[in-house]
Amino acid sequence: MTWVAWGCLAAAAGSLPLFTANTYYLYVAASVGLLTIVTSGLNVLVGFTGQMSLGHAGFYAIGAYAAAVLTTRVGWSGWAAILVAILVAALVGAGVAGAALRVTGPYLAMVTIAFGIIVEGILVEWVSVTGGPGGIFNIPKPSLHAFYWVIMGGAAVSLWLVANLRRSAWGRAFLAVKGSDVAAESLGLSAYYVRIMAFTVSAGFAGAAGGLFALLNGYVSPDSFTLQTSILFLLALLFGGEGRVAGPVAGSIALTLLPEFLTSLADFRLILYGGLLMCSIYWLPTGVVGALTRRGDSDRDRDRDSDSDRDGNRDRDGDRDSGGTAPLLQVEKASLAFGGVAALSEVTLAVPARGIQAVIGPNGAGKTTLLNALSGFYVPDSGGIRLREVPVAGRPPYAIARLGVARTFQTAQVFGDLSVAENVAVGVAGPRLGSVVAALVGAPWTRAAEARLRRRALALLAEAGLTEWVERPADALPAGLRRRLEIVRALARKPRLLLLDEPAAGLAPAEIAELDAYLARLRDTGGPAVVLVEHHMDLVMAVSDHITVLDYGRVIASGTPEAVRTNPAVIEAYLGVSE
Amino acid sequence: MIVQLLVTGIALGSMYGLVALGYHITWVTSRTMNFSQGHAVMAGAVVAFAFYVGLGWPLWAAVLATLVILAALGIGLERVAVRPFFRVASPAWLLSTIACGIIAENVAMLTFGKDARAFPSVLTQKPILVGGAGFYAQELLIPVVGLLLMGGVQLFYHRTGYGKQLKAVAYNPEAAGLMGIHIPRAVMCAYGLSALLAGIAGVLLAPVLNVAATMGTIIGLKAFAVAIIGGLNSAPGIMVAGLGYGLVESFVAGYLSTGAREIIGFALVILVLVVRPWGLLGSRPARRV
Repeated sequence: MTWVAWGCLAAAAGSLPLFTANTYYLYVAASVGLLTIVTSGLNVLVGFTGQMSLGHAGFYAIGAYAAAVLTTRVGWSGWAAILVAILVAALVGAGVAGAALRVTGPYLAMVTIAFGIIVEGILVEWVSVTGGPGGIFNIPKPSLHAFYWVIMGGAAVSLWLVANLRRSAWGRAFLAVKGSDVAAESLGLSAYYVRIMAFTVSAGFAGAAGGLFALLNGYVSPDSFTLQTSILFLLALLFGGEGRVAGPVAGSIALTLLPEFLTSLADFRLILYGGLLMCSIYWLPTGVVGALTRRGDSDRDRDRDSDSDRDGNRDRDGDRDSGGTAPLLQVEKASLAFGGVAALSEVTLAVPARGIQAVIGPNGAGKTTLLNALSGFYVPDSGGIRLREVPVAGRPPYAIARLGVARTFQTAQVFGDLSVAENVAVGVAGPRLGSVVAALVGAPWTRAAEARLRRRALALLAEAGLTEWVERPADALPAGLRRRLEIVRALARKPRLLLLDEPAAGLAPAEIAELDAYLARLRDTGGPAVVLVEHHMDLVMAVSDHITVLDYGRVIASGTPEAVRTNPAVIEAYLGVSE
Repeated sequence: MIVQLLVTGIALGSMYGLVALGYHITWVTSRTMNFSQGHAVMAGAVVAFAFYVGLGWPLWAAVLATLVILAALGIGLERVAVRPFFRVASPAWLLSTIACGIIAENVAMLTFGKDARAFPSVLTQKPILVGGAGFYAQELLIPVVGLLLMGGVQLFYHRTGYGKQLKAVAYNPEAAGLMGIHIPRAVMCAYGLSALLAGIAGVLLAPVLNVAATMGTIIGLKAFAVAIIGGLNSAPGIMVAGLGYGLVESFVAGYLSTGAREIIGFALVILVLVVRPWGLLGSRPARRV
């Protein structure tokens, strides 16, 4: 079904020059191709990674002017010029991203807008290089017929590259960061770095399209690269359907052809664009392509490779600690206050390399705060946290995760846009994403690595009894299974230490029993050390080797389950009984 | 020269600050904003022009009618482009307000025309000369009105009952809602007030700049830059940033070139954000885990 649609599209694009010699039609079709290239790249940033850019006309401009200057002043060939255009745009993109992606939301929008305006300003002002407001003329222009093929080829290659990227570890990392940057960081991914890469890739695509644009037209001038152009790019992507490989094609066709059909309404062009944007926000939140393909069919026909060849999974990381008497994790007098309220005060805690350590306490006792401090989301005001004698307090969450600390969250944070298998694959891969270029071109070794990752993910899911769900999107899972998926994903990192934040919350009694058995099995089969924050006392008492009780941010008791159960301070904290 | 640049810089800067305050007001109440705030400035200028010059109304009536219309436009925008996406994680409100802005620009082109026109004012008929520097009385009026309004908005938030309610919404919408504050109405008021301030800026600027359908975008962007530099959740930061931006811009244009003005202005924005990611006086939102 999907392949038929792609085939028709390719046939239409390919046969157009056979039917018409009218250069106008070819030019319009080539414009569709250019817009497809830009929006495919933008899709990586907006659709996959969930970041916004209102400045991509700037990268388009950089590509166009790089190609124009190199072909006219330096006398390079078009091919070489476009290659450089891509590199320059991507490099500038990386730089802008480094500054822009430290902030989010409106702040990010501002940086991208500012970038676009600065580029536009430089094009006008730097007359000696850019030709000023008049731009650069006499760019050696190939014949439209020949160049039509180049642009259509470029558009097809762009779609293929993005499709490859989506299936790679990078693609999953993008969607993971979009789904939950907090969870992505807990698996060792630096959300900042992943976003920078998405931004860089999208800038490279815009640069390529810009270079082709310069050669197609034979001239460039600043008028083509305004804020409106950036908005048009975004509109084409959203109208077509962000996050889907085919979205940019549909959006580019619609946004290029519509104004051409309605030339008599040229005065109403902005109303048309604005109206289209409003319509797509109101009625087509997943774009034309999203509305046409109901989620779950065409999107899921990837990864049909059989699991026939079994080379033993040899990916080794996460050196499990083999015994030793020194504690794995040592918390010393850690204190943390929020606006004068002490959430943790001088908490001291030692977690051995084996076994399950429970942390209990009434609501607001600081249990989750403690987990957040252990995993790097909060930095203690004072005191130390050492993992195998390495001080970790103050390190970012992804760095602590890379030292072998994995965690789950109070409200399960699954990556909703990814399938269940892909969720686990994010955990298996962790920070090892490989080269983004190899991922784009689908290099053989990345495919082999992919197959390994997938086998490992499927094996882990089978162990956890989630086999029937593997291809379903993670946000389709019922709440209990989401929690289980989250645990499987965390364990896929082969951590030394697993932090569980209320894994039994909201589970049915039968599910709690399963969880109980699962944790016991984990402990008995040489799994990682576990810190368990939990309210269900039955579960805590059944599985824990050691219990620490927090109240008002202080450790009020610590010991074996039996000792804690009879501790008068604990009874008082829980029941409010005073002597 | 310096006096002239100072006057121009403070006049424009106070307007950027006033418009930027509009971003701040809606941002703190609803975590959304009108990305086409500049188009509201344009609407203010165009509507005032239509009543004053087109229909020949007396100035006070034209201004009053303009302000009523602008507040209504702001409320209408909130209803159409923001409320459906209120507190949705997606930036749909960002795009829908941009869409409304470009539609408004097109409507202005169709009704007002594509050319810029001068807005007649007694305050711009002959320049005041001070030691070789020339400027218009209007340029003195602008910052006075602008700063008074900014102060007035602050007083409204800190001294009046309803202002305090709006501040409570900004501080913690859930708790404010539980205390019986009608949040949708608060957001509606914020949008009305925000557009009103932009409209006033439009009316004040009309005699100095020319009135044109396309005048909104760049004013809106600069005001946005000011809001970001000052810190979206800090009204004092925005006022300071507004004046600062106006002065930098005026002096760069005076001593370098008008072309360099935009490049340096917006480069400054990026620089500030690199050093202080949440603005000069803004505070970082708490990370939720």
